[in-house]
Amino acid sequence: MSVAAGVRVTTDAPRFRIRPRFRGRELGLLVLVGIGLFIGSLSLGATEQLKAALADGRDTPGNLLVLADPGLLLVYLGALLLVHAALVVAGRRTDQVLLPTVGLLGGIGLLLMERLPQDLAGSLGGLARTQLIWLLIGFGTMAALAVAVRNDVWLRRYKYTWAAVGVALLLLTFVFGRDVNGARLSLSIGPVSGQPSELLKVILVVFLAGYLSENRPLLVEESTKIGPLRVPPLPYLAPMIAMWAIALGIVIVQRDLGAALLFFAVFLLLLYVSTARLSYVALGLVAFVLGAVALYFVFGHVRTRIDIWLDPFADPSGAGYQVVQALHAFARGGLIGTGLGGGLPSIAGRPPIPALHTDFPFAALGEELGLVGILAILGLYLVLVERGLRIAAAAHDEYRAILAAGLSLVIGVQAFIIAGGNLKLIPLTGITLPFISYGGSSLLANSVIVGMLMALSERTRDPLPPPRRPSRLRRIFDRGAP
Amino acid sequence: MTGQRSNERPLGGPRPSAHAYPVSGSAPGWAGRRVGIGQALGRVGLALAIAFGGLALGAGYWQVIESANLSSAGDDAAVIAAARNVQRGQIFDRDGVRLAWNKKDKNGEPYRTYASDALSGVLGYASRQYGTAGLESAWNAQLSGVISADPLRELTRKFRANASDPQDLRTTLVLQLQEAAVETLGRNKGAVVMLDPRSGEVLALASTPTFDASAIADPSTATKTFDKLRNDTRLPLLPRATSGLYVPGSVFKIVTAVAALGSGAVSPSTTYADQPAAEKNGWLVDGFRVTDGHHSATGSTPLDFEHAIEVSCNIWFAETGVRTGGDALTSWAAEMGFGSTLPFDLPTRVSQVTNGGGSFGGGFSDKVELANAGYGQGETLVTPLQMALVAATIANRGVLMEPHLVLEATAKDGGVTTISPTVMSRVVPEGIAAEIGKAMRLAVAGDLGQRYTNGAAVRGLAVAGKSGTAELDGGKSPHSWFIGYAPYDDPQVVIAVLVENSGGSGVRASPLAGDLFRAWRTWANG
Repeated sequence: MSVAAGVRVTTDAPRFRIRPRFRGRELGLLVLVGIGLFIGSLSLGATEQLKAALADGRDTPGNLLVLADPGLLLVYLGALLLVHAALVVAGRRTDQVLLPTVGLLGGIGLLLMERLPQDLAGSLGGLARTQLIWLLIGFGTMAALAVAVRNDVWLRRYKYTWAAVGVALLLLTFVFGRDVNGARLSLSIGPVSGQPSELLKVILVVFLAGYLSENRPLLVEESTKIGPLRVPPLPYLAPMIAMWAIALGIVIVQRDLGAALLFFAVFLLLLYVSTARLSYVALGLVAFVLGAVALYFVFGHVRTRIDIWLDPFADPSGAGYQVVQALHAFARGGLIGTGLGGGLPSIAGRPPIPALHTDFPFAALGEELGLVGILAILGLYLVLVERGLRIAAAAHDEYRAILAAGLSLVIGVQAFIIAGGNLKLIPLTGITLPFISYGGSSLLANSVIVGMLMALSERTRDPLPPPRRPSRLRRIFDRGAP
Repeated sequence: MTGQRSNERPLGGPRPSAHAYPVSGSAPGWAGRRVGIGQALGRVGLALAIAFGGLALGAGYWQVIESANLSSAGDDAAVIAAARNVQRGQIFDRDGVRLAWNKKDKNGEPYRTYASDALSGVLGYASRQYGTAGLESAWNAQLSGVISADPLRELTRKFRANASDPQDLRTTLVLQLQEAAVETLGRNKGAVVMLDPRSGEVLALASTPTFDASAIADPSTATKTFDKLRNDTRLPLLPRATSGLYVPGSVFKIVTAVAALGSGAVSPSTTYADQPAAEKNGWLVDGFRVTDGHHSATGSTPLDFEHAIEVSCNIWFAETGVRTGGDALTSWAAEMGFGSTLPFDLPTRVSQVTNGGGSFGGGFSDKVELANAGYGQGETLVTPLQMALVAATIANRGVLMEPHLVLEATAKDGGVTTISPTVMSRVVPEGIAAEIGKAMRLAVAGDLGQRYTNGAAVRGLAVAGKSGTAELDGGKSPHSWFIGYAPYDDPQVVIAVLVENSGGSGVRASPLAGDLFRAWRTWANG
């Protein structure tokens, strides 16, 4: 079939004609989010008044109807509306559920940061203010991506470049990273410091989407039989092994179990999405188990984590302290929670769980919002994943489908890993709860993900990217091609 | 299949322009392929939903099933924080002077602070790191509000937002007497007990060296202070008045007198014919020589009870001890508290007449030990508080009142629990107590007695008392004792003074007691 026949040719630079498009559903949901956060702020304000009164020896405070830090709330809700307005003005037909969902998650996180001691972290005027500033930067990035990205060539064409950037980032962290709590997670370049693994997860998905979509036919059709197992064609096994090696490397060198687990899980899930071959996933899981067992016996920090997971109560005031205190927090929360600001008993002015704002916000919310709140938050993450997978299913082509699926799965799997760690379902790893945990890198990376998902959700027939010249490998294996 | 696919995409054709791609009805629609990405996406979504279901179940397990267990455990942060954040009740002296109250650290958590170091031996301390001691420990439940004064409130306590109901204590102490006691002890190690014999109310309970209890309670200085105190060889953390065990020496003669006169073994007029001669060479008991030091003063006159007390005659009391017998001596001593912990707010060491286990009667091992115990040597060991109770028995006409430190506990809502005086024991009839009192008065005011209780007499205040010099093994300087009361006609205050390793009573304990009687008079008249 001739390429030229019947094909309308457009350029890479689409015509920007601004035609505002009302986004009713998004606005409605945002109003609900606003009401929810307003009530949350009122509840927190009342609890703070009550606590202040008790501390002063008074029985009842004068006025309970006080918003906790109304400035923060107004700025935050204003920012959400601004993003909404930008999307309306841009007139794109992108997903309308993502923004309210992310807005509610971020708002809950912001309320949590407000009720924690402000000197826990944050150089920009305290914990909550720093978190707000990062949320604003994140929303700005999200809006920019959702409005401006109309083309994915820059992603799909340069997948190996992106991979190189990722590997470079990883190596930089290996070499120049700063050790925080025994894990080499943080990289500082001049005044800017961040956690490269957060950015890395986005790059990983971009690369995997490119690689898997391009080689999908071969991964699906060709397979090598080793005994009873169907193995991907051996040359294609290489990236899998590389992926596994990178995950191991991250565990060994960076001691970042969370990121390794996340990367490997997302890789396996995307492998399944693109091939629908359970045998590949099974093979990956076998490799994972082998790696995990080897790491357990060779590396002390892995063994410690696993042992704490198996029995944190063996040393409740030492190694198991964090995990045990988190479980206590869940227990104190019970079914309906203590209310925002009402839980997390302060010991020497500190919350009872170390690193609460980054690693244990899920436990904190479990205490203050109860099981009901926990279920709601889990529901919000499921909504995010569901929207992402829906976007993937409606995508124009495989690349976009795998990209959208990967982006949403990153958020879902990450939420699962840290929530499961908090709940002692899986060993605890130090990764963030997306949009809720304190931290700039995490908020920014997750905002980029949601921004890209929004861009991918555009329902109009945007120009499709140009087809790629097949790779050399593919030309070799694609014997059916003329 | 691959061939078919490649037809849909211009893979094999000439390389298309970078900008050109197909957007038509025949555009790549992967959804219809044999391997459906849509289906795979659905399965992945389902798997993640199931995983999240696992999270929900896990949360349910901890938040519902294990909730009660975990959140009431001792290492739960809320339980710990509640203990740390409780505003302990304040402690006052009997005149309403504040002795202990709370300050707040930079986190708003309260910590204890005390009016004076002089109180350390009685109030102890309440510290986050090191727990409680002294009165703070004994009344911890009321001070921290774990026990509510109101039984109805006690029932509903767990349902309240602020569960603790701390009570303020008004003690029997007098801060100015407590400070006077510590001040007169000065650099010496020792203890002072002052109490009202009529009610058992303790006015001062001092132990030196003192320590800075506020520094133990202050979280910023606690560790440094406590480590230093714990390693101090002078044992400042030992509350000597209640937990120090000392050889009593001659002050124990009052106990012997109570037993001997009470049991009728001797009468006040009893004399021993061999006593004057024995003054020179000592009185031989089974090969042991009991010696004395007042021969030149009393010469060849056999001493009766009064004068034996006045000059503190060891031989008279050794003979009396033997005549009274071990059983009677220990059982009369037990009436005053010996042999068991005292019914008191603070924990006390057990004072002993003998270390027991012997077969001679009352636990004595032989006649020599009994004779020595008669004048307070032997295996006899006492606490200063115990000796104050002995003096209090005499002062209160044979009736011993239970010693106590707290007058009343006041809850926040105004509910007051009052501690009323209780009789601990009716030890001897009034007449016998009066006989012993008369002798003690003579020991302070008599011509000869003054030599041994030098400095205890106070102009304008009739003091009765008995001094003691506790000889120690190994050539250590003796402990110096004084027990007594005033006014003689209407006893209102009992004082027991012990000064460790300070020489004879006349050197330290007696003049110190005189100072304290004066301090008491100033307070009582003020």
